[in-house]
Amino acid sequence: MSQEIESRIRAALRPVAPSEDFSKKLLARVIADQPAHPKPRRLPSASARPLMWWLTASLAACLILVVGVQQHLEQQRLQQSGLEARRQVVEALRMTSQKLNLAYEAVKNQSTSLSDEKSGV
Amino acid sequence: MNDGALDPLDYELAKARLGERTALAVLVQAHQRAVYSLALRMLGTRDLAEDLTQDVFMQLNGNLKAIESNKHLGFWLRRVTTNRAIDQLRRRSRLQITSLEDEQPFFSAEDDADPLLQRHLRDLLSDLSPQARAVLLLRFQEDLDPTDIAQTLDMPINTVKSHLKRSLETMREKSLGMQSARCEDSST
Amino acid sequence: MRKHTLSVIFALLAPALAWAAPNPKLAMPEFAGLAQKATESVTITLDPALLAMAGRFLDGNDPQDAATQEVLKGLRGIYVRSYTFDKDSAYQQADIDAVRAQLSAPGWNRLVETHSRKSRADVDIYIMIDNNQAIGLALIASEPRQFTIVNIIGAIDLDKLHKLEGQFGVPKLDVDLSKTPAPGPPKK
Repeated sequence: MSQEIESRIRAALRPVAPSEDFSKKLLARVIADQPAHPKPRRLPSASARPLMWWLTASLAACLILVVGVQQHLEQQRLQQSGLEARRQVVEALRMTSQKLNLAYEAVKNQSTSLSDEKSGV
Repeated sequence: MNDGALDPLDYELAKARLGERTALAVLVQAHQRAVYSLALRMLGTRDLAEDLTQDVFMQLNGNLKAIESNKHLGFWLRRVTTNRAIDQLRRRSRLQITSLEDEQPFFSAEDDADPLLQRHLRDLLSDLSPQARAVLLLRFQEDLDPTDIAQTLDMPINTVKSHLKRSLETMREKSLGMQSARCEDSST
Repeated sequence: MRKHTLSVIFALLAPALAWAAPNPKLAMPEFAGLAQKATESVTITLDPALLAMAGRFLDGNDPQDAATQEVLKGLRGIYVRSYTFDKDSAYQQADIDAVRAQLSAPGWNRLVETHSRKSRADVDIYIMIDNNQAIGLALIASEPRQFTIVNIIGAIDLDKLHKLEGQFGVPKLDVDLSKTPAPGPPKK
């Protein structure tokens, strides 16, 4: 009876997913973690619009370049960190193995001495 | 205890600690269900649960470097979620679980779901103290053993066991009541 | 020559240690004073996330990397502190006592305590066992001009670890670990 109730409670309390809308917003918010967006500016005057268009296009191109560079730097950082972690693992295991070797050697030498004593050497 | 298999999310954690956003997204997606469900069943309403879930993950952003493994991450998220929920509930008089049938479900939708059990469970959750509620959820939603629950909530293990015992006794009594009601229904 | 296999020693110890305490991770002191005196110091802190990352950068086609991958399976942390000095007795045993004190806590069992007159090295190896499986290893090696502390968390295979010696340029020791020996006298 007790186990049955517990399993039914467990089944009822299986985790439920939040709404898809919330999930998307949550992901976006956590990843961005940006400060509040600046207020939108007034539209520029008609005479300044062609210049603004070029400026906007240049800015967009710069943004794409920056994102690309950022991704490249992230990949580089990941690569460096991964290789450093690998180096540390190898070093740690090498040192451990070396110290184990000291212990094994001591045990072996002790065993050899005991055998020699027994055989009257 | 350790079956030797590496947790692939450990690698995502390592990447997230380096600032990789896609890795952070993977971790959020892996854990949001558990965090949201805990928040929902602790606080009772979807809005409050969503707010708490967001707060917990925003807090994670600033604490990522201190998280050592995906398992540690799970522990940290459960601990922060339950502690923040308990703090919020202390400021309110009573848990109010609003009807969510038209929105997001409060309980898991199983083919053989027992609406009567769910109602009793909802009543139980409403009646329990925040700490007892957290114990029940960590045990039956998160499948933690009493030792882990005690560690998560900084609670003596005997207190954890006591809460569980009382909650289960209450559910058992209600279940017996349910069974009697069913027998009467079928006999009439 | 009496031959030992550590796996048999584990099997002998395991029933007595079935009650083993939970946490095999040692709290490593800062050793700030010693680090200043040392000519070389090594500090390695590899939590599960970093181990997972390291695993991704090991090449299975390389024999050394493949052997390392084998050892890493089931490991949840590797922590090393090692200090080398330019003269004998530059450090005191008291410097290591903070670590030794933790190894007298329930769950830790001294597997072997060795002293070599040839190399003037003392090596103590401790094991933590839970459910008949080694879940932690602590090794303290004291040499005249160096001391090393190693703490490994997870499912440790000492045979595999020992076999790495041939991979890392450490001379291979002719000790047969594959045959079952007669158990040695109990150590105090």
